[in-house]
Amino acid sequence: MDSFTIGIIGVIALIFMVFMGMRVFLAAALVGTLGLVSIIGWESGLGMAGTIPHSKSVSYTLSVLPMFILIGFLAFHAGITEALFDAGRKWLGWLPGGLAVATVVAATGFAAVSGASTATAAVFARTAIPDMLKYGYNRQLAAGVVAAGGTLATLIPPSAILVIYAIIVEQSVGALLVAGFLPGIVSALIYVLLIVGISMVRPEMGPPLKGFTWSQRVKSVPGTFPIIVVVAIIFTAMYEGWATPTEAGALGASVVFVMAMAKGMKLGTLRDALMETAKLTVMIFSIIWGVLVFVRFLGFAGLPDAFARWVVSLPFEPLYILIGILLFYAILGMFMDAIGMLLLTLPVVYPAVIGLGYDPIWFGIIVVKMAEICLITPPIGLNCFVVNGVRPDIPLNQVFKGVGPFFIADVATIAVLIAFPEIITWLPKMMNM
Amino acid sequence: AEVDGPEVNWRYSVWGNPRAFTAGIEHLAAQLKEKTGGKFTFNIGYGEQFSRDRENLDSIKLGAIDGASFCNFYHPGKNPAFMVFSLPFLPLGDWDVNVAARQKLYAHPALQKDMDQWNAFVYAGAVMPQYEFMGNGEPPKNLEDWKGKRVRAGGGIGDAMEKLGARKTTTTATEVYTSLQRGSMDAASFPYTYSHAAYKIPEVSAWFTSNMSPGTSACPTVFSKTSYEKLPPQYKQLLEDLRPEVYEVQVQAYKDIDAKNLPEFREKLFEVVYTPEQLEELRKIAAKPVWDEWVEANKDRFDGQELIDMIVEIANSAPKK
Amino acid sequence: MQTHHVTQSSDGPPALVGADRWLSKLEDFFALLASLCIFALMILGIWQVLGRQLFNAPISGYIDLVELSMATFAFMAVAYCQRLGGHVRMDLFVRMAKGRLRWVMELITTVLPLLLIAVLIYYSWEHFVRAYDSGDSTIDMEYPVWPSKLLVPLSFSLLFLRLLIETFGYWRLILHPDATPVAVPQILTEEEIARKEIEDSKGGA
Ligand code: NA
Ligand code: NA
Repeated sequence: MDSFTIGIIGVIALIFMVFMGMRVFLAAALVGTLGLVSIIGWESGLGMAGTIPHSKSVSYTLSVLPMFILIGFLAFHAGITEALFDAGRKWLGWLPGGLAVATVVAATGFAAVSGASTATAAVFARTAIPDMLKYGYNRQLAAGVVAAGGTLATLIPPSAILVIYAIIVEQSVGALLVAGFLPGIVSALIYVLLIVGISMVRPEMGPPLKGFTWSQRVKSVPGTFPIIVVVAIIFTAMYEGWATPTEAGALGASVVFVMAMAKGMKLGTLRDALMETAKLTVMIFSIIWGVLVFVRFLGFAGLPDAFARWVVSLPFEPLYILIGILLFYAILGMFMDAIGMLLLTLPVVYPAVIGLGYDPIWFGIIVVKMAEICLITPPIGLNCFVVNGVRPDIPLNQVFKGVGPFFIADVATIAVLIAFPEIITWLPKMMNM
Repeated sequence: AEVDGPEVNWRYSVWGNPRAFTAGIEHLAAQLKEKTGGKFTFNIGYGEQFSRDRENLDSIKLGAIDGASFCNFYHPGKNPAFMVFSLPFLPLGDWDVNVAARQKLYAHPALQKDMDQWNAFVYAGAVMPQYEFMGNGEPPKNLEDWKGKRVRAGGGIGDAMEKLGARKTTTTATEVYTSLQRGSMDAASFPYTYSHAAYKIPEVSAWFTSNMSPGTSACPTVFSKTSYEKLPPQYKQLLEDLRPEVYEVQVQAYKDIDAKNLPEFREKLFEVVYTPEQLEELRKIAAKPVWDEWVEANKDRFDGQELIDMIVEIANSAPKK
Repeated sequence: MQTHHVTQSSDGPPALVGADRWLSKLEDFFALLASLCIFALMILGIWQVLGRQLFNAPISGYIDLVELSMATFAFMAVAYCQRLGGHVRMDLFVRMAKGRLRWVMELITTVLPLLLIAVLIYYSWEHFVRAYDSGDSTIDMEYPVWPSKLLVPLSFSLLFLRLLIETFGYWRLILHPDATPVAVPQILTEEEIARKEIEDSKGGA
């Protein structure tokens, strides 16, 4: 049997194991190890599988991950959400659907300290929904804006998933992080336009909130400073080159840490946050090395090259092939976690997309945005479950109905990013990355 | 086909994309294919497809790959004798001397012993260019001018620069550009002229050194002994016959790059050229102590002084240009 | 999806419950070390940046130190995470399966990885031995690499024990499908996961 056939069998075996419910990192490592054995023999194959976990995990660029995760966990305890939402409603409440707009803007700000969509949705479900309901906002709109707003967390740095993409496809971590910024803002703007549009047509869905004085507004700003500091650290570090992503992450984490201590975080809470960080970190590292065992096997089988050649030779316009690939991700994302999905598919899909002539950084942002959309689509739109969990009084089907318009907005965002790729590529280029 | 034989498929591991560094093995792969009518395929796995850069020797020992490139400075402990090439201010600036010294030293028992433990042997050296400094601020026309300068230089080069009074900083290669631009670093050493251009360092620099030769590295092409032993004699002979070309192609690749880069460097930047007396002084105050320390640290394993003397002798006996 | 969370129950065979408790303590300890190293990484990062930017005195060998420390948080909590059901998986079909069929699926997807991890313990140990024997060292400061490589077989040994306990746990459930699950991660419904997310995000705020 030739290596290529073994490669195909391996892919099928992996899909089967994953569907059986095996942990993705174990399934990938298991199939990868057996695949290596079948191509280069027992001793060499097993020996190689035994070296990969250490050699692929211990790489300086990956050390940014625990720092970003830590920032997210500490941010909960630093009281940043309330401050952001408060500033948002005072400055933007007068708009049609003002409180929903404030929610989007605050979620965008919170994204600058959090890399996790579900966590962001949970936090805002508690902070923003009660306020919106108090002022007579439509329940579906209130639930939808929170579920969708949560997804902004992964595009705007810090974002673990963008770091992972960068490492898998060997692109600059800094460039990916910077590239996600503008698309994150564009997504947020499209959400805002949508809310304002809906609330102008049907003012009863989101009445404006007026009557804040300028002094009240100005006083609401200082609470948001930690966000500004973290954003400034991460951006100037990338731009000026005075710190690596890991160092910038460490500084960002320490700012949020000091903030949380000032808010009276207890030692036990700190310990819990650190343990949660360790758990999420090891989860990500496990899946990285597990999938890389599988990827090594694919490399020996020559599959990525062959797949890329096949895709490039297809008699269709690259754009249609790209849309096909994105639809494939949309379907896969309905059933899988974003990180697992990207790690499993990129080794094969990425060379093909690059072969079609698309930009590596650009594709990273598109694919992550796709994965985020899956967080608000049935059947396993986790953000919707989270909102429903915080507000059991808003039934799940109402939450899904509420995110409907935002789903359309997200599809529009993808279309905009395909039509104007500069939104993604301009900032990294300008920053010489 | 010129050489007839069985079907053989070798896997060769290297990091990164095709570039001047891989020109030699690409030539080898193409020639093997042509001369054997496609029977001997030499499959180059770019981008660590077959093995991570720092584990290439492990992978050869495991029998997972048949050949690989590796760099001595990735893991000094794995190849102590190979570190001789990374000693500072060795007279390896000339291409012919560079190639001759590598061929001679790779045949030395001490270096062979380093590779024995990995079941490997050196087929051909990668003719890494000498390093040179490029930087900002006042050009270091005199050796005293190095005092206080913040320089990026690893290993023995770094130690030697500290002896000149410079301060050592470490950053990844991709960060050097911004560090120089912003002034948090004054100079960086890179393989000359190839890597300076690759990392766009001239855009943010004011001067460069062209004959300082602060050091280089050894990144040879090694083959698995087991894989090599399995080859039929005619394939072994073919590999031997192709070896000189592998060196030539590499040197030519770097010379082409120099021919393009050097005029651009000279037009834009101030060229620091040291006199023979200054170089002698440099070796005495900065290099000799580092060499001695290295010889001393390895005295139980091999005679380091002999290796250094061999390089100096090859350089001295080369025709002056 | 991260859909699992363990509930500690003592309503099972004493040997299994005891082993689970004992291993849990060890796992907690390893995970605590990993989390302390993450905190230390933060401190080291601040020190490095401030040292370099303010006093022109960066930590020599900073990158080496970070790389050497990475094995702690890359591996040491791996069994802890497995116990808490934190490793990503797709449980769509496990969820659909009921009774004995579910436990058979769980057993298969636990036993095969158990064998894999046993193999990886041996070969990652070999990787450590190669580094130890050859004196493998880091790029900059030439620190020895072997302690970092040793953490892999060590952490995998805990994961092996965890998977072994889970294997017995699932085997027991195949024999007695209606018994209270012990020493295995529990499958939560989507609603329960959401509630878990929310609990996590409440923290001490
Ligand atoms: Na974020
Ligand atoms: Na979904």
